[in-house]
Amino acid sequence: MKGNDRKRTFLLITIPILALFFVFNTLPLIKGFIYSFTNFKGYGSYDWVGLRNYIDLFQDVRVGKSYLFTFKFAIVATIIVNIFSLILALGLNSKIRAKSALRGIYFIPNVLGGLVVGYIFSFIFTYILPAVGKALGIDFLSSSMLADTKSAWFAIVIVAAWQAIAMNTIIYISGLQTVPEDVYEAGAIDGATGWTKFKNLTFPLIVPFFTINMVLCMKNFLMAFDQIMALTKGGPAQSTESISFLIYKNGMDGGQFGFQSANAVIFFVVIVAISVFQLTFMNKKEEQL
Amino acid sequence: MKEKCKHTGKTNWPVTILLIMGCFTIFFPLYMAVIIAFKKPSEMTNDIMGALSFPSSWSFDNFAEAMRVTDFWNSLGNSLLITALTVIIAILVHSLAGYAIGRNMGNSKFYKFAYLYIVSGMFVPFAILMMPLVKQTSQMGIGNRAGVIILYVVFYMPMNLLLYSGYLKNIPLALEEAARVDGAGTWKTYWSIIFPVMKPMHATVAVLTALGTWNDVMTPLVIMSGTGKNTLPLAQLNFQTQFGTNYNLAFASYLLALIPILLFYLFCQKQILNGVVNGAVK
Amino acid sequence: MRKVKLFTWAALAGILGSGMVLSGCGASEKDNEKTKIEMVQYKPEAVKAFEKMEEKFNASHDDIELVIESPNEAMTVLKTRFIKEDQPDIIGIGGDINYSNFLDADMLMDISDFEGLADIKQAYLDIDKNLEFIPKDGVYAVPYAANAAGILYNKDMFEENGWEIPETWNEFLELLDTIQASGQQPLYFGFKDVWTCLAPWNAMACDLAPADVCQQVNRGETTFSVEYRELAEKILQLLPYAQEDPYAYSYNDACTAFARGESAMYCIGSYAVPQIKSVNPDMNIDSFVFPANDSADGQILNSGVDLQFCVMEDCKDKEAAYEVLRFMLEDENIQIYLDDQNAVPCKEGDFTLPSMLDGMKEYIEQGKMTDYQDHYYPAEMAVDAMIQTYLMNQDTDAWLKKFDSDWKRYNRDLIRKVQEYQEENGEGGSRS
Repeated sequence: MKGNDRKRTFLLITIPILALFFVFNTLPLIKGFIYSFTNFKGYGSYDWVGLRNYIDLFQDVRVGKSYLFTFKFAIVATIIVNIFSLILALGLNSKIRAKSALRGIYFIPNVLGGLVVGYIFSFIFTYILPAVGKALGIDFLSSSMLADTKSAWFAIVIVAAWQAIAMNTIIYISGLQTVPEDVYEAGAIDGATGWTKFKNLTFPLIVPFFTINMVLCMKNFLMAFDQIMALTKGGPAQSTESISFLIYKNGMDGGQFGFQSANAVIFFVVIVAISVFQLTFMNKKEEQL
Repeated sequence: MKEKCKHTGKTNWPVTILLIMGCFTIFFPLYMAVIIAFKKPSEMTNDIMGALSFPSSWSFDNFAEAMRVTDFWNSLGNSLLITALTVIIAILVHSLAGYAIGRNMGNSKFYKFAYLYIVSGMFVPFAILMMPLVKQTSQMGIGNRAGVIILYVVFYMPMNLLLYSGYLKNIPLALEEAARVDGAGTWKTYWSIIFPVMKPMHATVAVLTALGTWNDVMTPLVIMSGTGKNTLPLAQLNFQTQFGTNYNLAFASYLLALIPILLFYLFCQKQILNGVVNGAVK
Repeated sequence: MRKVKLFTWAALAGILGSGMVLSGCGASEKDNEKTKIEMVQYKPEAVKAFEKMEEKFNASHDDIELVIESPNEAMTVLKTRFIKEDQPDIIGIGGDINYSNFLDADMLMDISDFEGLADIKQAYLDIDKNLEFIPKDGVYAVPYAANAAGILYNKDMFEENGWEIPETWNEFLELLDTIQASGQQPLYFGFKDVWTCLAPWNAMACDLAPADVCQQVNRGETTFSVEYRELAEKILQLLPYAQEDPYAYSYNDACTAFARGESAMYCIGSYAVPQIKSVNPDMNIDSFVFPANDSADGQILNSGVDLQFCVMEDCKDKEAAYEVLRFMLEDENIQIYLDDQNAVPCKEGDFTLPSMLDGMKEYIEQGKMTDYQDHYYPAEMAVDAMIQTYLMNQDTDAWLKKFDSDWKRYNRDLIRKVQEYQEENGEGGSRS
């Protein structure tokens, strides 16, 4: 009786939520999927083109390059962001002075609009770093990183990380709140300090948050758009066109809505596959720990 | 890795100093933003010293002008309304979803499916949803602020579900079982025990959701077009035209828009910190 | 316990409901007898001029109420409004590929019976005609204002140094050498913003490629490898005269640099003048037509329709829409717009042109001009980014080949349509 009531309550909660999600996420996705078999421009009349968009997709060099760039960017940025935000979270969670002020300051990059970030970092990369590079004789800094096809992607990683660290730090900090103090007390008796303590005591307890951050980070960076628009708009020489950039730019501004819908569908399948793998893998890890 | 000394009462000075030094990476760009917000377009230069030098006068003209151009109080009102309602609904609905799905996904295929279904929705590029959503919301008569709020609640559901169910993993079942033994129903257990225990996560969800909605341009732009209502980021598009950008006014406006969300964050941060679980678990 | 549950759902419903109520109002129709004409125009920077005209129109018309909207991101807004089937009556857009696409989607009304068209300069009507993918009967847009591109130059610097305005490509190269030899910077590019790569490209194309090269290619009569070769080779010759690493600097940087006298010339359009003057309000700017070939009378100005009005197919009251157009085309109203936007009028008549267009005036008056090439390029092909890539790699043959193959790929449906049209209407259905 009690069990049934419990089950029913859970269903009563879950079903309306699933319905809401279906109507505003899955339904439009299905419509988009249907458009991927047309040459729809986003307005006006259109024709069915069968699988042409999908066939084109696999032959399109630009799309291929955008996949390479996006994954390279996302993997590197995810690693950097997670390392820094974990360190930062541990730091901000320890016994420090001016805690609130520091937490507030480290949060600011996340709130600054794309226009501001784009302008300021373009200025830094175009004028300040090259000047520093020349003064110090560092060859690789002496010209703008954003103007070089070899380094532009890394410049975007730096800025994207600078902005994203705040968000992941918040999640780590809230994760650290679930670490009970007695774990430390027990650890202290065993003489665990520093790295050992982190590795053996803290980290296992915040693994769920590590999973969340990895998934959210991958998601945000795989779908990077704002950062690209703010810094390079896909340049130089089309070397920093992310998948979302292409989907958005050519699907909305250009007349490729149908084709880019196909791109979005494939992209969706690819990331879902990756994250389901990531989630199941991490869940197994969590259970092992 | 940093030394952790949570249970000793002493200030960890090395960490404090390192963190303060790290602030430079934020202060420097922020300093540039503030300087630019105070300058006139005619003071903009292409050389470093010119860019870093103080404005000729510290007048708040740019801020006043930016407020006029964006119809600040109206736009701010719309932004506040949309963000606040989104955050409140998100906390209520998403925490419930996290609880119902998170607690059952371990032993039920249905909930496991529901979890993966919603979380995978996170990876749908907005661009593909946009056109169909514009049509759909307009047909449903919610091509307005309400529509934007509903869409946000749906868009942030995957992330928040991930957060809530992840957090629940660290909250022992024993907590609610004790309540159930006392005769409380599922619903009551949730509101009296689980919901309060998740306070740090509520604060986290509030910050992340508010942040996303506060800065978002695209959703209100396409959903609310033609209603004559503006949010702050929409109004800020005024500073950028096809062939020219007024960076000075734009920066002033962005700095103004930063303040409410920063205050909200500082408020939430206190809630995250109150380590409720620490006390509750013992 | 039940009560708690009910209460929560009621609260949720209440919150959602109040949101709906909040936004539900305000959409109600006005039920007066005036005909309402709604116009959406895509230049938010001209909002002041349009507000003036809107007010003036409504003060002088009892039967028609004109509402002009100047939204930001207007093209996105327009497209979403088409999807919502909430179309305005008149749209003010540029004469570019969007116009071609809207026309191709049968969204615009034939306005060939609008008498105001008789006063529009033929050159601009032709430019609009050329934008039709498939030649159509009728007229679908009233060209209103144009902009022009070529070289902007710092008049004071030119006068101090006694530099002459060049009229041929060779004279231009000599001038570039002279300026460089004097230790000054001849040109400044903002190629970080890829669209600025199109400024020299378009301006030179007027002299070096047929105006309808894209249509010719679509009809299968020629290739870009042939028609763009000279253009592609010459644009590379400009690079040594620009600042080092032009791909690091944005449009905004270039405007600032030119305004601060860091370069003598800037290859861009008249549209950049307000941004330049915002940095240096007292700057003395003039312009000349880009001399890309060697015949002294063979230069052609690069000018395109920056703003034109189209009546939407769904407009219910055509006569009222025409009344609005008639009003907009009154000389004094055009002048309001010109003064506000430093624009070139598309209507014949005696208008005061902005002084920085002095060097181009003659061409404008004679109608010696050609549209921007990029108005024919599909946005998704990203020709601007392709040009940037080419300027960096400088491999002419490979690039032109890629241009041809990409063109076919991005215009496949269009080329098929054009060829079907040709088959139906006989070979060489060329126009103009």
